[in-house]
Amino acid sequence: MENLSAYILLALRLLMTAALYAFLAWGFHTLWRDMRQQARQATQQRAPALVAMPNGSQEALRFTAPEVTIGRHPSCEWLLADDTVSSRHARLSFHHDQWWLEDLGSRNGTMLNGEALSAPVVLADHDEVLCGQVGFVVRFERASEEGR
Amino acid sequence: MNVSAPFRRLLPSSLSAGLLRLAALFLSAYALGLTISPLVRERGLSDFGSLRLDHWLGLAVWLGAFFFLDRQTRQLLPNRDPLLIPLAALLSGWGLMTVWRLSPYFGLRQTAWIAVCSAVFLLGLHYRELLLASLRRYKYLWLLAGFLITALTFFFGTNPSAEEPRLWLGFGGVYFQPSEMLKLLLIAYLSAYLADRQPLTRGWLPLLAPTALMTGLALLVLFVQRDLGTAWVFIFIYTLLVYGAVGKRRVLLGSLFLLVIALVAGYELIGLVHQRVDIWLNPWADPSNSSYQIVQGLLAVASGGLLGRGPGMGSPGVVPVSHSDFIYTSMVEETGLAGALALLGAVAFLCLRALRISLNAREGYQRYLAIGLAAYLASQSLLIIGGNIRMLPLTGVTLPFVSYGGSSMLASFIALLLLCLVSNEGTRRAAPVGHVRSTLALSGLVLAAFALAAVITGWWTIARGPDLLTRSDNVRRVRSDRFVPRGALLDRHGVLLSHTQGSAGSYQREYLAPILGNVLGYSHSTLGQSGLEASLDPILRGEQYQPWLGLWLNHILYGQPSPGLDVRLSLDAALSEQASLALGAQPGAAVVLDAGSGEVLAMASAPGYNPQTLDQNWPQLSAAQDGSLGNKAVQGAYPPGGALGPFLLVAARSEGVVPDAPADLGFTLNERYSDCDRQPRNLDSWVDLVAAGCPGALAELGMALGGERLLALFEGLGFYSSPDPGIQERFQSMPASLSRPGAAATGQDGLLLSPLQMARAACALSNFGEMPATRLALEVKTDEDEWLALGGSGLARRALPDAFAASMAQQLANTPLGIWELGIRAYGPGGEAYTWHLAGDLAAQDGQSRCAVVLLENSEPTMARNIARALLGR
Repeated sequence: MENLSAYILLALRLLMTAALYAFLAWGFHTLWRDMRQQARQATQQRAPALVAMPNGSQEALRFTAPEVTIGRHPSCEWLLADDTVSSRHARLSFHHDQWWLEDLGSRNGTMLNGEALSAPVVLADHDEVLCGQVGFVVRFERASEEGR
Repeated sequence: MNVSAPFRRLLPSSLSAGLLRLAALFLSAYALGLTISPLVRERGLSDFGSLRLDHWLGLAVWLGAFFFLDRQTRQLLPNRDPLLIPLAALLSGWGLMTVWRLSPYFGLRQTAWIAVCSAVFLLGLHYRELLLASLRRYKYLWLLAGFLITALTFFFGTNPSAEEPRLWLGFGGVYFQPSEMLKLLLIAYLSAYLADRQPLTRGWLPLLAPTALMTGLALLVLFVQRDLGTAWVFIFIYTLLVYGAVGKRRVLLGSLFLLVIALVAGYELIGLVHQRVDIWLNPWADPSNSSYQIVQGLLAVASGGLLGRGPGMGSPGVVPVSHSDFIYTSMVEETGLAGALALLGAVAFLCLRALRISLNAREGYQRYLAIGLAAYLASQSLLIIGGNIRMLPLTGVTLPFVSYGGSSMLASFIALLLLCLVSNEGTRRAAPVGHVRSTLALSGLVLAAFALAAVITGWWTIARGPDLLTRSDNVRRVRSDRFVPRGALLDRHGVLLSHTQGSAGSYQREYLAPILGNVLGYSHSTLGQSGLEASLDPILRGEQYQPWLGLWLNHILYGQPSPGLDVRLSLDAALSEQASLALGAQPGAAVVLDAGSGEVLAMASAPGYNPQTLDQNWPQLSAAQDGSLGNKAVQGAYPPGGALGPFLLVAARSEGVVPDAPADLGFTLNERYSDCDRQPRNLDSWVDLVAAGCPGALAELGMALGGERLLALFEGLGFYSSPDPGIQERFQSMPASLSRPGAAATGQDGLLLSPLQMARAACALSNFGEMPATRLALEVKTDEDEWLALGGSGLARRALPDAFAASMAQQLANTPLGIWELGIRAYGPGGEAYTWHLAGDLAAQDGQSRCAVVLLENSEPTMARNIARALLGR
């Protein structure tokens, strides 16, 4: 009986410690789940396919990779064998939920809807792009539509 | 796809309420523990009126405030980081309970402050648009206001505890420290400035000039005010914020360089800094004065151990300012390393969340705001925690959210509000982050610093703790003495000598044989311990000879040792009293040993003192410096002089090197000539020459034996070893050689012996050359009421050849009395006289053969002889 209060206090001390660590563990666990979910989302997130229809050509090209480099160099995803196109001419990339177009310092420049590019810009459906003398129109396929 | 609400989508919105409930569970357990702690302290025997209840008011206010705040923020700021409020709630609730545990007065005030701060938080929440925008737009105005209000303390400054420095503005019992607000205003100013000048990549240094000027101005104000702790925080905030914005490592290096220079300059120029750094480097040098606070703080941390003492069970209040600057040590004492790690984890978590929020901030201004607030929380927490555990020099800043203090709490709450607002507007499509690496580096830095604090706390609690707690300035030992009965001291026949009386909480030591005070010693709450009370302390205190389970249970339940155990001594109380009475006021000592077993039958030292009235007489006793508080029988050191004679003669005879009697019986040592102590009866008898204490004859014997054999003889007689380890005895260490055997043999060439050492050697004459190991503590009474023999550590050994020792005793015999005896005077280097009288039984009496040694600190041969004879019963 003399010891009862001491044992109660011991139990309370253990409870305190347990509550403290449960608090921290819960907090960290949530963060970990958040990170995992975000990572999974980042890997699952697909860029909507970009369809490029070159002017005067019947064949449309379809890109699903999040980054497409345009140029004459063989390492480019979209190889354009035209003298007015630089070896690495321009880049199409998907981030921040958008497709972006960026000139890579090409000799003859890149035009969007008739205007020369100086900085990365967001592309919209039916935009007309001109790399050197090669022109094309971009179209998007929604990722969700494609997935089902 | 809703990507603009990262937290709502990924972190469940119920998270904050759930975490708050856990924090409430923790605090309720704490509060309940605090309520019953008086019962546990007094071992459940006291009345229930002593229960502590008032802190439940604080808990109720805390519950109301935070659950309401959480509901409001959930409605008004649906996208906020849901971890912020629970973390702040846990820290401030824990701090509140700790403050209340330390002082209900401050606890009540802290409760009121939490209510006020919550109201301010709500107000800011409702004017949130205005708050963020105006802080940015009128940044110079706000900062100027901050300067002005801080400058007011130059004229109207006060200090709640009526000391220096005067950093507060006081009005009607409410105090406010403006530098806390200046801190936040500086963060807002810096964030706004840096955001307006983006990007800061090229030519960033000149762009920073105005911020450096403003920060320098703020530092100047703080330096003039001697608010150096806050100045540190400002420097850290500025450095980390600029690093976060510019992302250049040279910002950190340059700032570190400046800090070191400032520290060195401060060390040389400012007395306070000098003192703080010295204390940091070596707190053990002056533990009762300048470093009292830090040493007591470390003791509090050490006593926490792994699990802590439990709410209300420790003694954290011993540390000065434990409710504010040293609150960390209070919390560690009562929640242990487990609590410390959780606390550090929670603070680090909060800082890391703030840095995370900065990454998702909508715009540069809000991003820098979050970084600045993270820097403020991290640097201030680390400075004070690090100062508490000797990781850094001590700086007087508060632990945000936790420490007592209204302005500190208000600043913490406003920081919390700003973080909530910034996180609410945070978005995945955040403004491009210029330097992700700097944010990552900051996070790593913060994490590493908190991890270091955790490791150092662990070092003090686990590795160094047990060692630290035995320090004499650890009041916990003394306090536990009031709650745990101390073992009794008994004489060899079971007569009670000293014991403990009273009940838990008021145990008092009672000394039943005050005349034996020098030998038994005292155990006093403030004056410490001495004598057998000190040397047997681990047993009397119940730390030894106890079953481990009981020890462990008492430690874990009460943080105290088990009840102490009784010890039976070898002393005969009556004989010891007789010795003390015989010595009276005559300075000296007397020892009676059982020649066979080495048990100390009587021991006395004079002048004496009464341990029962130590409190009243302490000033005179400690001022007297005459050894009256010590035990001269073991701690005294006297030249043996002619008392060495019999041993030398026995050795010379056994080696067969007895020379002819010299013509000159005197001896010149260190330009002082000394003659025989008394005229020898027969100039040709070696025994007579020895009995007369003729130094010339002793020197002759010494030279005949030679340095090597003389050293072996002294060593064998125990002149260079402790007579009984554990009773605070003093002894000389053995020299490499005796280069002047003649001088050494006179016993006046530097050799000093305690009366107990001499008695042990004398016993060899009574015991056929066998020298016993002395023993003072015989048995300990275990938990099961059984007497358990305490093993003596020494062994009896042969000091002299038996036949020669026996014949020596016979030749020194006083046949009518049945004893041998030798009375001789010796002289110290200044010519001061000491009287030795050695005596022993010739034959065993009642199966016991005893020897006695009396030493008087002046020339009183007759008195010494009479005392020795009386102690041997003649």
